[in-house]
Amino acid sequence: MTNKAAAPRRPEQIFFDDPALDRLMGVVMTLASEHYVLRDRLQALEEQLVKAGHVSAASLAAAPSLEKEAQYRADADDFARSILHPLLAQQQALGVTGRFSLRRRGS
Amino acid sequence: MTTERAFNAGQRFLLAAKGFWTTTLYQHVRTEFDAITQGKDVNSVAAVAETLEDLTTYQYFAWLERHMQRMKYSGRYGLARFYDEHRESFLARLGAVPLNDPVLELDPELPLPKYYTDVDIHQHPGGVWSDDVAGLVYEHGARSTTPLLGAAHANLHTRFTDLVAEGGTPASVLDMGCGFGKSTRPFITKFANARIEAVDLSEPCLRVAAQFAHEAGSSNVHFRQRDAANSGFADNSFELVTSTMLLHEIPPGPLNSVFAEAFRVLEPGGRMVHLDFYYFPDAFTRFMHYGHGRRNNEPYMQPLAELDLPQVLRDHGFTDVEITPFAEAPDAQSSQVWRFPWTVISARKPLRPTKS
Repeated sequence: MTNKAAAPRRPEQIFFDDPALDRLMGVVMTLASEHYVLRDRLQALEEQLVKAGHVSAASLAAAPSLEKEAQYRADADDFARSILHPLLAQQQALGVTGRFSLRRRGS
Repeated sequence: MTTERAFNAGQRFLLAAKGFWTTTLYQHVRTEFDAITQGKDVNSVAAVAETLEDLTTYQYFAWLERHMQRMKYSGRYGLARFYDEHRESFLARLGAVPLNDPVLELDPELPLPKYYTDVDIHQHPGGVWSDDVAGLVYEHGARSTTPLLGAAHANLHTRFTDLVAEGGTPASVLDMGCGFGKSTRPFITKFANARIEAVDLSEPCLRVAAQFAHEAGSSNVHFRQRDAANSGFADNSFELVTSTMLLHEIPPGPLNSVFAEAFRVLEPGGRMVHLDFYYFPDAFTRFMHYGHGRRNNEPYMQPLAELDLPQVLRDHGFTDVEITPFAEAPDAQSSQVWRFPWTVISARKPLRPTKS
């Protein structure tokens, strides 16, 4: 089979009024993904340490059981909710709302 | 090299984020849209776009749809990288089916349509056809297409097959665009005495399909690398022609050829039944559907939805044309989550020709 030749890269689709946000969101989501992966790894380490008293690289690399997978899925749901909730732009404490600017009130 | 554990965690994060996106964020977009348009007549996609595209919550919704799918396939924990890094072990699993196995017929010389090779559908780099592991990548990716369905995603194929079976038990079935065989498997089981033929353009996908059939000991099926628009089967040779999630991947011109081919190979009185995404009467959900097509690299979703399918099928000579909404899961009709316009498209080849 002949693999498809690498196509020239096209600019990514734009969704925000300011394309800077499109790019920044890419960074944020990548960081969030990395953070979650690290968190998952930490969970694995903790379990290993408790269970055997030492770290096993091979077992750290193994996939979790189906039961564990379901447990981790619930945690991932919560994590994703906390990461993405700011997109709803809702105040968590009562205060002044709207865009902040001193253009008209600055001296 | 990415470990299986890290890969699983990266994919799990994306699936969880997709769960938030498809429920909470979608509901917020809908609520904001309803509040803005209260009392206004918003009955076209263009009118919805006029309101929604400036809405910040929608912009995040759209961005996330595009980029969660990108991250699913590309990047450090993407499917493409993981399967590339572990390619040898994955391909070894496919080695159980020899290339001359009767269940599998490959054609390295088969010309692939330009519409098929020009776009990397689902944002799968290189598409589902250009890499030896592409079928495995596609199979893995399909497990999380609809986050709320989870394991029930496989059941939608069974639900569809059960629906088809209500119309009778065919002795011969052609499954067009069978991919890695997920749509074909329930037909193999449900119609165990039938001759099942399944065709697809993608060699990597067909190899996965054959592997599953081999492991299941299925002897009533052949997976062949052929174009659904030019299947090579004899006239009047099938009682049932079917496809699942194929039509929306084909532009209107070649789609006409697929319908003509289905008509040709069907026996007089035979049925054609497709499960696909068609048309939302509600302009808001239709806007979301068309946007999904653009964001997910499926450019022919909108053209299919805008096609007058009943007329197109009648023009091909079909009768008894029925376009029916399909519930992919028992509680699928909720308007609180984003879902596809699942539709069953069925028609019959008349016993006597009606075509002028």
